[in-house]
Amino acid sequence: MRLTTSARHGVGALAILLLAGAAGCGGPDAGPEAVTPTTVRVLVRDINIRAEGVDCAGTGPYLYFHHRAPFRVLDPDGAALVTGTLPAGTAVAAFDEDLGVERVPTYCEFAVPVQVPQRAGYRLEVAGRPALDLTPDTSEGPALVAVVPA
Amino acid sequence: MRRLLAGLLAVLVLAGCTARPADRPAPAALAGGAATLPGPVPADLALRPPPGDAPAAPAFTGGLTDGTPLTAARLWADRPVVFTFFSSWCTTCADRQDALSELARRHRDRVVFVGVAGADQADELQDYLRTHRVEYPVVVDEQQTVWRSYAVREPPAVVLVAKGGALLRGWPGGLDAAALEQRLGELVLAGSG
Repeated sequence: MRLTTSARHGVGALAILLLAGAAGCGGPDAGPEAVTPTTVRVLVRDINIRAEGVDCAGTGPYLYFHHRAPFRVLDPDGAALVTGTLPAGTAVAAFDEDLGVERVPTYCEFAVPVQVPQRAGYRLEVAGRPALDLTPDTSEGPALVAVVPA
Repeated sequence: MRRLLAGLLAVLVLAGCTARPADRPAPAALAGGAATLPGPVPADLALRPPPGDAPAAPAFTGGLTDGTPLTAARLWADRPVVFTFFSSWCTTCADRQDALSELARRHRDRVVFVGVAGADQADELQDYLRTHRVEYPVVVDEQQTVWRSYAVREPPAVVLVAKGGALLRGWPGGLDAAALEQRLGELVLAGSG
């Protein structure tokens, strides 16, 4: 089989492209990105009257923070690093004061164990609502925390 | 004669098209729909008189899970009503629901239980109602307008309304079945508290 000059050039270019592609496929494998375990903590400051320690959801405008609500942890570019659903929240006392009654003003705290790759920042999106900034915090172990309303 | 036979044939074919095959089951009624509405009030229902200073319960009309309208005042016109405010995702609601469903069955037609489901999804709500054998009417309160009229901020909550519409008590955070049964005896059912 005889090839014209231009055809030979074309075949040469194709061979180079194939070799480059093969080199790309067979090169050093980056592998899965390293991730670090941490806990996403969200404190919904709704000051609702509850018994301390009971399961809770956010109230009023924050009712979308509830058990089974879908969430995503995003990186600064908006890429989803983790997706899941929230567990039930836990009622925590809003004020460090013994009021002498069972039901007291509380906030509703959500804690979700996650594993995230290293990024310059993280955001939390719940139920498709605008994302919240997450701030690193180590006061109770590694965590990314948000307070609502900020 | 041919015309007569053709006519008979056409009638038979049409009948075959419109009749439901014997082996096809009727569509299942939605849990919490019209089939769960109460029957007549038992003739021997004895009730405690409500306190004269009790406020009126907020009246509302809402749609059941199958769209059937339910007017609350028509229910409490002739018997007490228990409203249970809940969501299918509410863990405390689920923990207590089996016993509350049983309590509602025991008092069926004497005290009407009505669920008011807020912030929920229709399929998840049906799963919840079937899992926990909820056999009383359930209002779908998607925008939580009924919740707000009763100052319910999160599930669970329970409200007790006397025959006639007096608002007797509300329990934010809800009640378990044993506590609610005791309250029914103390507040509405004569001879049982």
